[in-house]
Amino acid sequence: MSTALEPSKSLASRFSGFRPSPRFVRSVDLAGQWAAPIMCVVVLIIAAVFAPAFFLPTNLKTVLIQLSVLGVVAVGQTMVLLVRSIDLSVSAVLALGAVVVVQTQAGNSLWIAFIEAFAIAALVGLANGYLITKRQVPPFVASFGMLVFVQGARLAYTKGQVSGTVPEILRAISFQQVGPVPAALLVWLLINIIFIVILRYTRFGRWIYAVGGNPNAARYAGIRVDAVVIGVHMICSMLAMLGGLLLSGYIGYVDLTMGADYNTNSIAASIVGGTTFTGGRGNLFGTAAGVAMLILLLNLVVVLGLPVHWQLAMQGIVLVAATALQGFRQFLLSR
Amino acid sequence: MAVVQENIQTSMAPRSRKLVKFARNNASLLLIYGLILVVALYTAIESENFRTMSNMANILRQSVLLGMLAIGQSVVILTGGMDFSIAMIARVVALVVATIFAAQASNPALIVPLIFLGVIVGVALGSVNGLLITRTHANPFIITFGMSNILRAVSLAIAQTPIRGIPKVYLQIYDAKIGIVPVNVIVMALIWIAAWLFLNRTRRGRNLYAVGGSERAARLSAVPVNRTLMMAYMFSGFCAAVAALFILSRSGVGDPQTAQNMEFQSVVAVALGGISLYGGRGSIWGTLGGVLLMTMMSNVFNLLQVNIYQQQAILGLIVLLAVAAYKSPRLAT
Repeated sequence: MSTALEPSKSLASRFSGFRPSPRFVRSVDLAGQWAAPIMCVVVLIIAAVFAPAFFLPTNLKTVLIQLSVLGVVAVGQTMVLLVRSIDLSVSAVLALGAVVVVQTQAGNSLWIAFIEAFAIAALVGLANGYLITKRQVPPFVASFGMLVFVQGARLAYTKGQVSGTVPEILRAISFQQVGPVPAALLVWLLINIIFIVILRYTRFGRWIYAVGGNPNAARYAGIRVDAVVIGVHMICSMLAMLGGLLLSGYIGYVDLTMGADYNTNSIAASIVGGTTFTGGRGNLFGTAAGVAMLILLLNLVVVLGLPVHWQLAMQGIVLVAATALQGFRQFLLSR
Repeated sequence: MAVVQENIQTSMAPRSRKLVKFARNNASLLLIYGLILVVALYTAIESENFRTMSNMANILRQSVLLGMLAIGQSVVILTGGMDFSIAMIARVVALVVATIFAAQASNPALIVPLIFLGVIVGVALGSVNGLLITRTHANPFIITFGMSNILRAVSLAIAQTPIRGIPKVYLQIYDAKIGIVPVNVIVMALIWIAAWLFLNRTRRGRNLYAVGGSERAARLSAVPVNRTLMMAYMFSGFCAAVAALFILSRSGVGDPQTAQNMEFQSVVAVALGGISLYGGRGSIWGTLGGVLLMTMMSNVFNLLQVNIYQQQAILGLIVLLAVAAYKSPRLAT
């Protein structure tokens, strides 16, 4: 950086009259990247001081399972956010998964039920992707419409009643103890490893970052942008379905209001973890830290014995603060 | 030159060409009002109850709530944002006003101050949204989505059971009529006309369209972007507060379920009316059509006895079809 040359300013900075120092920019950038891990430690310290019950084995197991379920969903959400899209239909798909499996297992082979469930999830993702790319509907409107539709369809199908029991295999992949940890944690680790490899070392992964970074440039570089976005949405829906199966295996029955807050939580976790809403920036390590932080925080609310609406408030505050921080970071970095 | 020529051509064009041009420019308006007509005619034939004058007045009166929220939502969406906390602002305002009424033994003298208080709370909450969005350049949708979570928590902290104690006089606002037209319909119409005049006849109103069309271009043309955005979010908070005050006068209790799902319905009404969800294009008369259509649909569902779960599925389907039908290309930014 030579000071002799005319400093290159973007148009926005020349007119907004706001000139932050480089140190400020760097610290905001670092804060955006490290917010989640630091907050994790802070929450753990608070838990150690104020609520020792947090560290009981039963509570830790609950935390780990919840963390895995949200983690699996958040992997999909992060990938969707990376291509400048968003998926608000994850909670509906998540709830649908359990219903499909429970309803169809009667008389059918379990594998058929699983295949059906994932096919439906892929279809939802396909519809989301189609609306967003081909019909150019804003992503949150498209996916929220899908949320309302899928929820309505599920309720119309089940007539608002709860029925059936969760098959054994779901308990096995979620609740059962494998060594010192629940099986769900292993599923989460596996999914994370798979998608970290995909994002880092495959062409598809590079495409995702390219499309998120600059869709037009990606298009000129010969990437089939629409196909990438649709593919990512299908992956996200299928991961949400997997999350739903893990969740129903954990709670052991199918609840009508199951998974309602996974939209907010998965988005909050991804964004806290350093994924910016304008795409192309972020990774799954950050998301994992974000998931851990959010779940620890929500669990802390329960352990401390606060009223349950504090959980809602926590979700909202984390989401707003994280979005504000990442939005500001993106604004500073892209000037 | 080309512009001048075009002007001459259009002024000399035969009437049919003008008609075609009018239809093309107002396609979404014609579509929505045509749809309303079709649905109304079909239901009028199917159901006797629908045809009565009182049912018509009822539909108008029921549309006030959604109408107030949708006008606020339209203004925000025109700037290229979205206010997903609008319904929760309404809920918090309703609960705050109801709580104070209850605490003061439903004193009728408090009506006017509390109406002002409610409006101030709404505008303040809207300006919190606006501040967060303009100062941090974050995505408006996610910010307001998070805010709606926080406000839901606030409303749960205020009350979890319906609050009684709204004064009797206040309830008469809902039933009051001038001639045969209910007062609240008149109030809504006035706000609506004022909004239209503001959007189309003043510079600040045009600024809203400019910001929605391209924030960058607006900034470079010395449009006060931040102030415009603040104004939009404060207006939507104001509309939410007015809607909340109407709900209170209708239900007579501060209901913790106030305005359930209304944020989505308001967006749907705007989308149905053909305002581009990317901002900068569309007319609020389309939104009015969307509001009337949605209110009429729920009335029709009730008359034809469609069960509530199917209603939700059908609503979702309509939304998806509507947003897919209007292909609203992103403007160059």
